[in-house]
Amino acid sequence: MTVLGEFALWISLPVALWGMFLGFAGGRTQRGDLVLSAERSIYAVFLLHVVASIGIIAAFVGDKFQYWYVASYSNRQLELFYKVTGLWAGQRGSLLFWALLLGFFACVAVFTNRKKNREFMPYVAGVLQTILAFFIVVLLFANVNPFEQLDFVPANGQGLNPQLQNYWMTIHPPTLYLGFTAFAIPFAFAVSALLSGRLDARWIQLTRRWILTSWLFLSVGIVFGMRWAYEELGWGGYWFWDPVENASLLPWLTATAFLHSIQIQEKRGMLKVWNMSLVLLTFLLTLFATFLTRAGLIESVHTFAENLRIATIFLGGMTAVLGACIVLIIYRLPQLRSDNQIESFFSRESAFLFNNLMLVGAAFAVMWGTMFPLISEGITGQEISVGPPFFERVNFPIGLALLTLVGIGPVIAWRRATKKNLQRNFMTPVIVGLVVAAGLWLAGARHGLALVTWSISAFVLTIIATEFWKGTKARARIEGEGLLNAFFHLVTRNRRRWGGYIVHVGFVVMVMGFAGAGYNVDTRHHVMPGDVVEVDSPLGHTYELTYEGLSVSRANGQRNLLWQMIATVSVRRDGQAAGILNTEKRQYVTSEQMMTEVGIRSTPMEDLYLILSAVDDPQAALSADSSAQGIDLQVLIKPLVGWIWFGTLLLVIGTVIALWPNAARGRPAETTTTGSAPRPDPAPEPVGSTG
Amino acid sequence: MKHGRFMVGLVGVAAVVTYLVWTGVSSTMVYYLTPVELAERIEEDPSFRELGVKISGKVVPGTYERVEGELLHRFTIHDLEDESVRFPVEWRDALPDTFSEDVEVVVEGRLNEDGVFEATTLLTKCGSRYEAAPEDLAR
Repeated sequence: MTVLGEFALWISLPVALWGMFLGFAGGRTQRGDLVLSAERSIYAVFLLHVVASIGIIAAFVGDKFQYWYVASYSNRQLELFYKVTGLWAGQRGSLLFWALLLGFFACVAVFTNRKKNREFMPYVAGVLQTILAFFIVVLLFANVNPFEQLDFVPANGQGLNPQLQNYWMTIHPPTLYLGFTAFAIPFAFAVSALLSGRLDARWIQLTRRWILTSWLFLSVGIVFGMRWAYEELGWGGYWFWDPVENASLLPWLTATAFLHSIQIQEKRGMLKVWNMSLVLLTFLLTLFATFLTRAGLIESVHTFAENLRIATIFLGGMTAVLGACIVLIIYRLPQLRSDNQIESFFSRESAFLFNNLMLVGAAFAVMWGTMFPLISEGITGQEISVGPPFFERVNFPIGLALLTLVGIGPVIAWRRATKKNLQRNFMTPVIVGLVVAAGLWLAGARHGLALVTWSISAFVLTIIATEFWKGTKARARIEGEGLLNAFFHLVTRNRRRWGGYIVHVGFVVMVMGFAGAGYNVDTRHHVMPGDVVEVDSPLGHTYELTYEGLSVSRANGQRNLLWQMIATVSVRRDGQAAGILNTEKRQYVTSEQMMTEVGIRSTPMEDLYLILSAVDDPQAALSADSSAQGIDLQVLIKPLVGWIWFGTLLLVIGTVIALWPNAARGRPAETTTTGSAPRPDPAPEPVGSTG
Repeated sequence: MKHGRFMVGLVGVAAVVTYLVWTGVSSTMVYYLTPVELAERIEEDPSFRELGVKISGKVVPGTYERVEGELLHRFTIHDLEDESVRFPVEWRDALPDTFSEDVEVVVEGRLNEDGVFEATTLLTKCGSRYEAAPEDLAR
């Protein structure tokens, strides 16, 4: 099976190159048979990669340690679940996995467009095959072939790093990869628009769902990574401005900008060059993120291996894409002129533009900070780095400005807002925001940044709530429906608009959760069994923690575990018993270091987070010496962390609502509230739709 | 057409972002040095001691001690190339799981009057942690 998989990977290269050539040639010559062949080659490449992936999984499940990749990420004792997910546990497998997911999305794109939008499809197929071919070349020729064999057969593998044996870590990389690869489809359509000269908003309308899908997976993938860090890394944080985290944030920032700016092109025929640039930039950043996480350019907590050849190939590929696209955009510049111009500073176009500028500005700042060690070393020969303080200093003000725009953007009028429009929409929300700030101040909140954040959040939420209320009331009156029915129909009749608002609410809730970090409590204690620690939370609760003692459990190698030292703490909250929390040190067979498992008690308003920092005398504790029970216990209280996860849920719900296909097939998608005239579907030359 | 006012706004945003990045870098940047380089810098210019720096080195086996109940950890690191250049390090927080006595660490902080490096962040270098070198498999 594995040999067959390797064979399939090799075969996929000529097939992808063939499809690439035919796609471009078919587009140029308008020959349907060539285009059809190019499209079919996409199905073929995907199937070949399915075979290759099954080959890798079979090698994992069958403990075939002669394969370097299997020997490095698995051993006999590893649970079956982690053997199967071994496909994306390391660099080599994940690059194949990337190609597999891209192939899947490419198949969906080709299949759904087999009878329509034929003027785009030749070049779309060509571009997608180019990207696939690029990844196959990397896999085969950059010292990262997952099928590489050792010249001996090890008795057992190295095993999987225990920190990666976590549910969130298993789904975090694939989710991000789904986001990265889905964005290749809008990119392919954009390039196709440039090549074919079909430069109206059509390519944007066709790929809106792809963009949203990609954005959804990117958002969720990033949050999964935060969740993993929060539960597994054991320092109580969820974001560290680590290069790998930054790398996944970059395409999210530009994709978010793109998601907003395309609406201006759809509505007003403006920003065509800007949109082309953003789609190109975002695609390059997805490649960059893959490259950074999987090629090890910059030192980081989880940047994996160093390999110069893969760096050269990746940078070469990205430069080629950049160069080709810039040439294309310049060539098409006359056709990319704006149909309109911005009329007023106080207009929705203007608000969206500022949103774009800030998102791209934030992306630039994050990029700069991430690459700064390399840049400074290249220029001065002296490595200088910037840490979390830099990213916070730059991104907090930008973030607050963006948060404000979340409120302003959707209700300010297109083209030119009148004074009356501004007053009517913003008077009440501004007052609510100020009242919230004053209320929190009186309640004793003194953290400036958090106060500002919550105040602006209240402003934004008031605006969105008012919109929902006005819409529901109007509908209830006109259609004579009950309020609940009216609300439901309001959302389902214009999913794009109201789904978007729900996404905004989710984002605001997340940001409010981030601001909770301003009130983190961090205390450390040395405790013996029976000791009671009292910690006050900023929300006025009192935790009474009784250290019950340290117990040792030996697993003797089962599930790769040697032993666990478990500190048991019973919790009383405001005098009420609130359960028992464990925090552990674990020793795995496959790792020299001990691992810490934290104990978390989540409530909607705050998390109690216990860390077993150190055991006084681990050797004595392990040899069952009952007197060796002293430990260092770190007690953290993290207000509003739960809001981050809850906000993410809202964001997902909103995006799914916006994505949901319209019930009536063939009816043009409602674009905005004001309902622009539906564009007639053009019936272009059907290239390759038959035969 | 209020093009002028609009352009002022755009340029303003760009300027603010640039300003934030610029001041952010200059107020938070730290030099990343080897212990040998740090020793040389201080010899050239004793005021260099005042600056926060990041240094990487290997923990000297046998030098690690933990002060019970204070969450204070002490160890000495040496330069990767010149083992005679050493700095004692003090770290007041929980150690990362990956810390052990022969690991390579990156510490950020500053040298105090007594020549002790007071670390504010501590990272262990863990190139081998997630990806095994093929040679390791032969054991």
